[in-house]
Amino acid sequence: MLAIEDLTVRYRTPGGAVEALSSVSLKVRTGSTLAVVGESGSGKSTVALAAMALLPPEAQTPSGRVLFDGTDVLKLDAQRRRRLRGSRIALVFQDPFSVLNPSLRIAEQVGEGLVYHRGFSDERALSRAIELLDEVGIANPRAVARAYPHELSGGMRQRALIAGALAAEPELLILDEPTTALDVTIEAQILDLLEDLQARRGLTMLFISHNLGVVRRIADDIAVLYAGQVVEEGATERILQAPVHPYTKGLLAAIPRLGRGRTRLASIPGRLPDLRAPPAGCRFAPRCPFAVAASALPQELRHVGDRNVRCCRAQELVATAWPVQDEAASGTLRAVLSPSEPILRVDGLSKTFTLTRGFGALSFEGWRPVMRPVRVKAVDEVAIEIAPGEVLGLVGESGSGKTTLGRAILRLIEPDRGSIRIAGEAVSGKPQKALVPMRRAAQIVFQNPDSSLNPRKTVRELVGRPIERFRLAPSGEVPGRVRALLDLVRLPAHYADRYPHQMSGGEKQRVGIARALATEPRFIVCDEPVSALDVSVQAAIVNLLADLRDRLGVAYLFISHDISVVAHIADRIAVMYRGRIVETGPAEEVMRAPRDPYTITLLSAVPTVDGPPLGKRARDEIAQR
Amino acid sequence: MAGYILRRLAFVALVLVAVSILVFGITSLLPANVAYLILGPFAPPEQVRALELKLGLTDPIWQQYWRWASGILRGDLGESMLMNRPIAPLLWEAIVRSLTLTVTSFILIGVIGVGLGVIAALRHGRPLDHTVSVATYLGIAVPEFFWAIVVILVFAAWLGWLPSSGYEPLSAGYWIWLQHIIAPVMTLVFGHLAHVSRLTRSSMIEVMQSPYVTAARAKGLPERVVVIRHALRNALLPTITVLALDFGRLMGGIVVVETVFAYPGLGRLLVFSIQNRDLPTLQAAILVVAAIYALANFAADLLYAWLNPKIRYGRSVA
Repeated sequence: MLAIEDLTVRYRTPGGAVEALSSVSLKVRTGSTLAVVGESGSGKSTVALAAMALLPPEAQTPSGRVLFDGTDVLKLDAQRRRRLRGSRIALVFQDPFSVLNPSLRIAEQVGEGLVYHRGFSDERALSRAIELLDEVGIANPRAVARAYPHELSGGMRQRALIAGALAAEPELLILDEPTTALDVTIEAQILDLLEDLQARRGLTMLFISHNLGVVRRIADDIAVLYAGQVVEEGATERILQAPVHPYTKGLLAAIPRLGRGRTRLASIPGRLPDLRAPPAGCRFAPRCPFAVAASALPQELRHVGDRNVRCCRAQELVATAWPVQDEAASGTLRAVLSPSEPILRVDGLSKTFTLTRGFGALSFEGWRPVMRPVRVKAVDEVAIEIAPGEVLGLVGESGSGKTTLGRAILRLIEPDRGSIRIAGEAVSGKPQKALVPMRRAAQIVFQNPDSSLNPRKTVRELVGRPIERFRLAPSGEVPGRVRALLDLVRLPAHYADRYPHQMSGGEKQRVGIARALATEPRFIVCDEPVSALDVSVQAAIVNLLADLRDRLGVAYLFISHDISVVAHIADRIAVMYRGRIVETGPAEEVMRAPRDPYTITLLSAVPTVDGPPLGKRARDEIAQR
Repeated sequence: MAGYILRRLAFVALVLVAVSILVFGITSLLPANVAYLILGPFAPPEQVRALELKLGLTDPIWQQYWRWASGILRGDLGESMLMNRPIAPLLWEAIVRSLTLTVTSFILIGVIGVGLGVIAALRHGRPLDHTVSVATYLGIAVPEFFWAIVVILVFAAWLGWLPSSGYEPLSAGYWIWLQHIIAPVMTLVFGHLAHVSRLTRSSMIEVMQSPYVTAARAKGLPERVVVIRHALRNALLPTITVLALDFGRLMGGIVVVETVFAYPGLGRLLVFSIQNRDLPTLQAAILVVAAIYALANFAADLLYAWLNPKIRYGRSVA
């Protein structure tokens, strides 16, 4: 149905033309699902835009065709393209929070395609929109149809977007990371819905994702994209079970597995090549442990067994596994649990946010004014303890109160009630000025290194500032300290002169960790330290944090929405749900035999790349056998 | 929505009370009081004293304020000392004439400014965009009185199309009335376009790159629908706030423009009452300007809430 042939896309940028796609060829068979998989910068979203003929004006296509049902959509005039979009090809975007127009009602956004493509009247479009909302599993479609986007949860918004995409009965549905912004339990529901819709409507889907576990549930075939090239393509289960291209091997090895306990994650060193001047040879060679002299020659996509692979050593590497090469130490990590006094003890901690106050809380019953403030209990009577050198993993969905808890512990947010002791010292109830010793003993690593590092400061200033602030070294020794800290997080010393924008995401997060370590803390709150990073980089950061714990004996409160990441580093796991800790226990126990129903749901919703297949389709197949 | 309107109205009332206190307080602090002004600089002190007693100027200040403020609430603004006429009708005529100028200018600023902003945003980075930028900046960078003089030189002195100054009522004929309005309106509009067009341009450029506009394009909607329904509606939100502020600036702008064009409106009345220390007129005029300003902001708030459902409801249902 859709065939992309030899497509090259370049974006004009001030720094030169960036080649986002280089001679990419893909085929989506009618009625099947092709997943395009890759990390950020691989060009996967460009594939989606090209298939919709929606490339921005700064994009050029020096070569290639995008054939939809035999016609090249890149050659169509604007009018014909427009008629194709939304009517025969529909696109579901990544982030349901920004894709819906904030000032239009849901029904208008779901039904407007019908008005312009099928000539529906506004009333007919509205009633059809309600039917569609019903079809995508929205409980009260009439009310939702009248709602504005900000009144809906993320999952509901994504359902509404899917309903809008389906409105004009398209033959091809393109989904660009449709579940990335959602919690795992919601993600599982959306994937169920997509499988269901595909079975009922016989949809053809092009599914774009970085998450191999998600792809496994939904795709018949996979194409792995690296730096704008397809490096491996074939049937989903074959690729996931026996990857051939080194990049695919590395990507799979880097994924944290449920139930593997605290083992070292494999990671892929290095970063993407500069796509302004892509290397002529293998683009993965600089990061590849299997690279040989022949890798410097241009690589062709060749047929190897049941798939196509772009690697000159494909044949011989079929059975070779990705090496765990992230330094010498390997195997299970040291389990330290000293019986001494806990480094952190939190008891009865509560924090309620009042969303509307003063005049804003005034509402009317008829004409009678009433004060009705809206309150949210973000943290509700939480008690936790962390021993020195221990890692407590804190898991929960967005909005469960994890971040609020982490910040309240460090008094970055004022808790309403409860006692906090860090390193034996009371932290709660003191004025901020008296917290200076605590600020030295306890630090925080933030989720997004882009916004937590001041863009106008060099790494030396960023990491050196806490040392100066706490007078930990005479000013002459600060540069030496900074070098030592950079070495600790495995950044070369010359990075001290760089600004944040001159580093990759993983490198920035290393700087964030170095900054936290600068005060020689005994306890660090790691607030989603790897969620903003690609899988291959995430593994390296998790390993680094584990090593630092082993070498320095720092304790972490490791906050993450991804339970499989937490399982790799935590000694104990606490599960948070609606502001409360619903389950705490040793990591292996929580993972193996969860007790709380919410933990069970959370664990069963995680899409995996191995083990028994998940999801409706898999369940149906098992039933058929 | 009713609650929201009432809250905003209460706020407007609060602002007006505060302004009235300020106006009254400041004018009472001026060295010359009304009795002194009425009787002239050479009046004997005992005569001044007697008039002060008669006018209640020796009462505590809050009593004086109360008398003045409650008079205003009854529609009694007092008497102009110089013209010996009640202020209310005098002020009313001036307001109507000034509002003719400001409202016409305001509508033109809104329509032309938003239009230029949208065009500049859609032609972003091309010659048309730069032309719009330079022209509107020129308007705002050079003071109004300069443009007023340019307009007089070109349209009155050189082309002879318009009268150079003055005002004629509608009863003198529609065309004659209009002729007297065009020049001051042109001056006001040119001086205020840049705010609106620049802000519309930048927010429009931002919105046009937002995911929901890409999504609207992906739905295959006609470009006109994408631009107007999906982009402009959201891009206008910041513009509305600036428009409301601009209405206030226009009220300030008329002081200059009415003086240059000898147009008998609120601006000239203000200047006149300041020059002649006509305190009651001054107080009433300032209060009226403040009220117009507050009501313009109130209107902007309502429009803003209407365009932005997040403000309208304020909380989520799901």
